[in-house]
Amino acid sequence: MAYNSDNDIAGQYSVSFPQGFDYGPEEGEGDPAGGAQDQKPKILVMGLRRSGKTSIQKVVFHKVSPNETLFLESTNKIVKEDVTNCQFFVYHVWDLPAHLDYFDSTFDPELIFGGCGALIFVIDSQDDYMDALSKLHFVVTRVYKMNPKIKFEVFIHKVDGLSDDHKIDAQRDINQRATEDLADAGLDNVHLSFYLTSIYDHSIFEAFSKVVQKLIPQLPTLENLLDIFISNSGIEKAFLFDVVSKIYIATDSSPVDMQSYELCCDMIDVVLDVSSIYGGFDSEPPVYEPRHNRISPLSFDSDSDSDDGEIIPERVNPADSNQRLAVIKLNNGTVMYLREVTKQNCWRLSVY
Amino acid sequence: MNAIISLCHFCELHGPKVLFCTQPFHPEEKEVGDNEGETDISGHRRVISPSAALEPQTPQTPTCGANSLPSYKNDLCEGCTSVHLGFVSHDDDAGVSYMSSQRPQHRDVFAMIRQSCIRSLSCEVCPDQEGPIFFGDDQQGNTISYTFFIKDNQARGFQRLYSIIVVMMDKIYLLNSWPFLVPNIEVVVKHLKSKAKAVFEKEQVKFPQRPSASVNPRTFIQQRGGNKPVRSLSELTDDKNVFKILHMSFVWILKACGNRLSEALLEGAPTEDSIIDMERQEVTEEDFVMLYSKKLTVEEEVEEAVDAVRYATLNQPTQTEPVDDGSPAFKDIRHILSLLGPSLFHVLAHHVVVGNQIIIRADGRTLMRTFLEALTCLLPRGCFKAVAYSDVYVESYKCNFLGLDPRISIPPHVNKDEKYLLVDVHRKPDFAFDGSTDPFAGYDFKFSSSVTFQPNSVPTVLTKMEFAIRNTNLCEEVLDQALVCYKEEWMNKVKVLFKFTKAGGGRSDEDMRSLMKIVGAVDVDRPLLTYWMKGLSDQYKKHILTTSKQAQVS
Repeated sequence: MAYNSDNDIAGQYSVSFPQGFDYGPEEGEGDPAGGAQDQKPKILVMGLRRSGKTSIQKVVFHKVSPNETLFLESTNKIVKEDVTNCQFFVYHVWDLPAHLDYFDSTFDPELIFGGCGALIFVIDSQDDYMDALSKLHFVVTRVYKMNPKIKFEVFIHKVDGLSDDHKIDAQRDINQRATEDLADAGLDNVHLSFYLTSIYDHSIFEAFSKVVQKLIPQLPTLENLLDIFISNSGIEKAFLFDVVSKIYIATDSSPVDMQSYELCCDMIDVVLDVSSIYGGFDSEPPVYEPRHNRISPLSFDSDSDSDDGEIIPERVNPADSNQRLAVIKLNNGTVMYLREVTKQNCWRLSVY
Repeated sequence: MNAIISLCHFCELHGPKVLFCTQPFHPEEKEVGDNEGETDISGHRRVISPSAALEPQTPQTPTCGANSLPSYKNDLCEGCTSVHLGFVSHDDDAGVSYMSSQRPQHRDVFAMIRQSCIRSLSCEVCPDQEGPIFFGDDQQGNTISYTFFIKDNQARGFQRLYSIIVVMMDKIYLLNSWPFLVPNIEVVVKHLKSKAKAVFEKEQVKFPQRPSASVNPRTFIQQRGGNKPVRSLSELTDDKNVFKILHMSFVWILKACGNRLSEALLEGAPTEDSIIDMERQEVTEEDFVMLYSKKLTVEEEVEEAVDAVRYATLNQPTQTEPVDDGSPAFKDIRHILSLLGPSLFHVLAHHVVVGNQIIIRADGRTLMRTFLEALTCLLPRGCFKAVAYSDVYVESYKCNFLGLDPRISIPPHVNKDEKYLLVDVHRKPDFAFDGSTDPFAGYDFKFSSSVTFQPNSVPTVLTKMEFAIRNTNLCEEVLDQALVCYKEEWMNKVKVLFKFTKAGGGRSDEDMRSLMKIVGAVDVDRPLLTYWMKGLSDQYKKHILTTSKQAQVS
């Protein structure tokens, strides 16, 4: 049953959305205005040096192991990252090194901050963050003047090294100081969002998901559709994922349980890993990079004693090679169902 | 070379910073180096040790920092300071001083360097991360930047980014120097890298930074916390003199690069004359010809002839170093006109432009030389081949202007076959010096020629030229330009004719006549046009011949 309804909705996604909305480069090409390049939202990542800007992007977008990020060299120029693996939403992420003064005449601040959708400011919570706060204040006041529509997101980063109490204290303290500073400067209407993040767990993915979601104009529609979907199918929670970055683009309106999100992330990892080993029986040669995966029709039973349960990647319809899915049954009775939605890498993951 | 070479560094704490900067100072603008340099200017080229030189970090810094530049006073760490004072080298031969310091003294220059530094390290993307790249514009100067990594055991990523930039306002010059600059900068870079690599390998054994088995973030961070965030270049290369070496290398690069290319000012498209000049220069200066092999033979023969003449006349250089023997000199073409009078001058000029050999026999060498020189303005440069003094007759195909010793007579075969004009200059024996200021007072000119002069066969251009020469309203410069214009105008016709005759194969007389009509020439101009074809540059002739050959083939 679920399959059918799922199929229908999936069909709706892939058929009805591309018309009329500006979803991605493929549709954007047809625009007479042709400004697809400029219309892509831009997310800037700023922060003091060694606060973890590059590490975040390496972990989120490049699947670098968090431990490996210790050996990154300092970024010396603006690094632009095109996130195009998801058809629903294409955006840039710019990594701005802390060493450069972007309000100097060398740079064009209008160009950097002008068309920007969100600004992520990374604060190293393990360090003394007073400098970071003053820098944040400086950046926010300048950028707000230039682009009042920009969304400011503050990542209180590296919280893996802090105790839970300490985390809450830090967040409260930073929140209070930053908003007070802004209020003193007469910018009461500037809203800062705060997230506690760490690259050693899923918090960074979740925080990034929230940032990205704010930039998606069609988010209410997507949420609505997912709501309809779960209410009709008896699914507990549904996410629309970009599997490559593990960022979820939308979810239904019920609150997100951090644990189920983590579970989904883990499932994506498992499925992608398995498919990169056993995939590639299709016409394409095996490529061991997640974005090129093809999950081939196979199923295997894992050890029945283990906690992991069972993974059943399979095709719904052999004729349509783009429709791939995976099902994992957990021992506690939860069933996780991963289903490809678009040709590229947007997958929906549902938890029963 | 009016460029600034500097070493830049991406500092872990402060971002892109100018580390070390070498610039040339010409005496008139050497305001900063003077106070110290004046006292010990006696020596030859030398390097003044830091104590004797200047103070780069003077208190003027905060004032610069106030407007656009961030304050540097408290902002310098070990990694982005190079030399406390600086180095100065004087090149006494060329009158240039080279000064190296942390940063240029002049605020605008510094702003330019800083801009280039930021662009080189943080903006421009080199395909391999390391290597040369060019960027720039007219306002901010043009830059060749060579970025490279220096190994550092304690740095993030175990390496640091440096770059050497050459900043210059003159884009063409800079780009033309690329083949010289890039390999030489590469040598400097390789030197630095190899030194740093040796240090890195030594340190890596002593303090391994990357535990292979267990990577624990906590210990890693603690371990690194003890490290210095930045280390100076001399520490990284373990060489206290690294900046001295850099100074020497940069000075050499600046000097050698400046000697490599010299600039010539060209206004507008080059005239046929200037092309000829360039070709001749290549022939004579380089002692060999790259493209114009045909030219070589002609030139060599002339040279040989000249050499023979030279040795025959007691090794007195006749062409290269004209000696003044006290005989009166002709100032310019108008001077000749005033001495000869219009009718004789007309005959002379006519012979000149149609290419008859002009032979002058006189006592004074200066007289003959200046006489021939003054006549050059009537002919395109390519047609002018002169032997200013000789005591044997030189054939007309070797030179069309010849100065002869008065005792030499023209050989009889020449008398018959060749077209020439012989000008004999005598001093009247019975002339009594009456105190007049004119040095030519008492001189007499006698013309004799193998061809009889026909007054109605005057080329059109000569009429115009003579008119201009006679027009006393024109000053000398205007006259010169007018003559250049006439020559250029007619050279263009010559080019058309040359292309027409040489490129197209057989042409009938009828065709020729209609072409002449089109270019605006009449029959009497023909001898002139044919003669001036010799004056076309080899470059042009070659070009025409190859294109016409290609056209024929296809």
